[in-house]
Amino acid sequence: MADAQSEAPAQQELLEVEEPLLSNLDIFLFSLIAGLLIYWVTFRKKPEPIPEFKKLDAPAPPSRETSFMEKMKKTGRNIVVFYGSQTGTAEEFANRLSKDAQRYGMKGMAADPEEYDMAELSRLSEIDNSLAIFCMATYGEGDPTDNAQDFYDWLQEGEADLDGLNFAVFGLGNKTYEHYNAMGKYVDKRLEELGAKRVFDLGMGDDDANLEEDFVSWREQFWPAICEHFGVEATGEESSIRQYELKVEEDMNMNKVYTGEIGRIKSFENQKPPFDAKNPFLAPVTVNRKLNKGGDRHLMHLELDISGSKIRYESGDHVAVYPTNDTAIVSKLGDILGVDLDIVISLNNLDEESNKKHPFPCPTSYRTALTHYLDITHPPRTNVLYELAQYASDPKDQENMRKMASSSPEGKALYQSFVLDPCRNILAILEDIPSLKPPADHLCELLPRLQARYYSIASSSKVHPNSIHICCVVVEYETSTGRTNRGVATNWLKSKLPTDNGHKASVPMYVRKSQFRLPFKATNPVIMVGPGTGIAPFVGFIQERGWLKEQGKEVGETVLYYGCRHKSEDYLYEEELAEFQKSGVLTQLNVAFSRDQAQKVYVQHLLKNNKEEIWKQVHSNSAHIYICGDARNMARDVQATFHEMAEELGGLTHTQAVDYVKKLMTKGRYSQDVWS
Amino acid sequence: MSGEESVHIAAAEMHMADSDLSESIKAATKDSHVRAENTELMRSYVRGQVSSSQYKLLLCSLYEIYRALEEALDRNASHPAVMPIYFPQELARLETLQRDLEHFYGQSWRQKIIVPAATLRYAKRLREIGEKHPEYLVAHAYTRYLGDLSGGQVLGRITQKSLGLKDGEGVSFFSFPAVSSPSLFKQLYRSRMNSIELTQEQREGVLQEAVRAFELNIEVFDDIQEMLSIAQPETDLRQRHIKHSHAQLLQDDKMMAKTLQITSPWSSAAPLIRMLLGVCVALAVGMGIYAF
Repeated sequence: MADAQSEAPAQQELLEVEEPLLSNLDIFLFSLIAGLLIYWVTFRKKPEPIPEFKKLDAPAPPSRETSFMEKMKKTGRNIVVFYGSQTGTAEEFANRLSKDAQRYGMKGMAADPEEYDMAELSRLSEIDNSLAIFCMATYGEGDPTDNAQDFYDWLQEGEADLDGLNFAVFGLGNKTYEHYNAMGKYVDKRLEELGAKRVFDLGMGDDDANLEEDFVSWREQFWPAICEHFGVEATGEESSIRQYELKVEEDMNMNKVYTGEIGRIKSFENQKPPFDAKNPFLAPVTVNRKLNKGGDRHLMHLELDISGSKIRYESGDHVAVYPTNDTAIVSKLGDILGVDLDIVISLNNLDEESNKKHPFPCPTSYRTALTHYLDITHPPRTNVLYELAQYASDPKDQENMRKMASSSPEGKALYQSFVLDPCRNILAILEDIPSLKPPADHLCELLPRLQARYYSIASSSKVHPNSIHICCVVVEYETSTGRTNRGVATNWLKSKLPTDNGHKASVPMYVRKSQFRLPFKATNPVIMVGPGTGIAPFVGFIQERGWLKEQGKEVGETVLYYGCRHKSEDYLYEEELAEFQKSGVLTQLNVAFSRDQAQKVYVQHLLKNNKEEIWKQVHSNSAHIYICGDARNMARDVQATFHEMAEELGGLTHTQAVDYVKKLMTKGRYSQDVWS
Repeated sequence: MSGEESVHIAAAEMHMADSDLSESIKAATKDSHVRAENTELMRSYVRGQVSSSQYKLLLCSLYEIYRALEEALDRNASHPAVMPIYFPQELARLETLQRDLEHFYGQSWRQKIIVPAATLRYAKRLREIGEKHPEYLVAHAYTRYLGDLSGGQVLGRITQKSLGLKDGEGVSFFSFPAVSSPSLFKQLYRSRMNSIELTQEQREGVLQEAVRAFELNIEVFDDIQEMLSIAQPETDLRQRHIKHSHAQLLQDDKMMAKTLQITSPWSSAAPLIRMLLGVCVALAVGMGIYAF
């Protein structure tokens, strides 16, 4: 009755306020709506935080055919190579294996286990001489890669009967992980458990050591074993696999043909900044003079005009130039190859998925390729000889060429004596093995690309903002076969004379920044050691120190140690250095003339003579040391001299002295710009 | 000085603490460096188990940090303590971070950045010293940039492998195209550091700031790890997140987003609105009980 009692007054209230402005229901509804409104307004501001992903590796849409059996039967393939790959390495190996099959008269295809119905493995034996190869990478703590997860699960279920299936596994792993190659091992074991037949042992690649090497070694033994298993002739020895296909271009629009550009076609005609390795600037040569007064070498000083290019540099940087080959050698190659050098061709990658469509810019002529794009002067590598061997009609020549590429000591010795010691380039090899007649296109596929050459800039941008100077020596020498070998870039630069029949010689170049720099504080002393053409960057450094002095800055000691053979012959920049010394910019000049007296005198001997003074500068005055020039002997000997100094004058043990110099390097006070 | 006078220095003296700033800073931050390496976040990185969520949060924080650092450096470019170490062309990271964030979050990445409190503190500190103590900026530049050029290179490779990224997409932060040799550049950088002129007091301030810089980094790593563990409470769930299937990746973010969605509006909605909401609900419930 309490309820009725409480109800009554409420009801009475209700009756009393029969027709209010807002009924209770209204208030209820109103507050509900208000509440909802507030909720909506408050929460609406937060955007849907489901992140949008740019496509990483989109899983394959299921609209494709999922039967690898169908595909193999349709395209006459007997080998399928599945890959469990996370970063693409296993996939790459699978692709290579599937291509290998061709060599042995078989046909293979690489396949992503995620895209196919792996249960079909139990039917693979329907195809004659079939084989399933698995390239399985292990991920994390012994896990399958994403694309192999389903396959892994299927194997675990263990409901398949794989009797009749031939298989082999290569695992990709990393020994620093606890579960080294767990996936590879598992697949190898499990397939056998399910009744399949292992035709070759599990291969294991260690990414911590050399995965590629492991793969190549396994593969080298794998194929002969497979051939034996199937009773197939291993034709791998004789045939070789081309990577590119030749297309002779008829009626080509000459505007679409490359004539030596590194990047964009016509980039030499329409020059557009910014200039870099892919887009070099054609710098006119304003000066090209011989630096030495005598001797049989040719040392030169060049100046490249960079006005209008927006190219900036600092002294100590390197200038990179794109040289071209000697046209005489190119013509001789054309003759010996028996090909018309001026036909326009393209070499197109047979692997359509590859990012590298051509080995060099195509379409182009053989002449352009051999002149601008290919290295024809370095002794060819062993793999080039191996691939070319098939074109030697004399069986002995063929055998020798293949031998030189093998890892046998005999082969290595033959390569050394026939190719390396006499410095035989490809033309010499073709001339000296007359039975060797390779097709021009295959040769062009095998030769490496012609590389840019780097020179230490011999000027200061503060003094010469629009000009880059080069100091170098022309490379030329006689080989044991009586030929004269010439350095590509240095001979090419030598021929770049400022006015070439009224048409300015120019050099495609760009600047590569280095870390070889004068000290930040001009008051720091600098000790520069640069014999021969190693003096190049120091000419720039000294110019800059002179400029700083002119600006009224206080400049510390500027010391140079230079060396050459004969004072009267190859003393580079003799007049300029004398001038700098006279004006006080160069506070100390020490020159060693190695061959002007009975015993050899080198820069390190001069350093030793001044050891006390040098030590004081280095140890107490924050001097910065710079070495430039020959890496093999000079740099090593000079460093040893500093070790000795530290031992003798610093009272250090040899180990401590070595550490001391190492510390100087770490702190950027001992810098080297050296080459071998 | 006579030529006969040889400068013999006792071996003991040689081993005396190097007065070069680059050496002192390294010594002063040695312990902090070890602790930074041993944070949960860094340890999982080294194990190769960095998850997409971890990396993305790291990118967000790095963005805020480098934004503050590089602004401070740019503004103080001609300050004598900044000029020697000012290498924007070679070192600046802001653009690379923008590119990587866009890769993971899309065009509207600016609205999606999430940073923990430690990152805000770090950025604030950078702005402070940019204004009041530009001579301390070297401490932060050293800590971040030299780190990026050292171990950072390895982290880049691990990230790329762990997340299956191709063609440098999403990891441009780790790449320094204008630095041809990281080791030689570090040598140059150290020589520049050592040419900064500082009073004894300023020097000590720089060393202290370097230690602070490491601490701030450690706090950021820990905060990021904390954020992730709130979003994914079960550890075995975290194990599965190591497998980066795309469904999983989206799942990670949806879950984290949901969790954050639940927490953030409540915390960010003004107390007034919350009260109003409460009142309305109470009113509705009250009237409901009353009326029905």
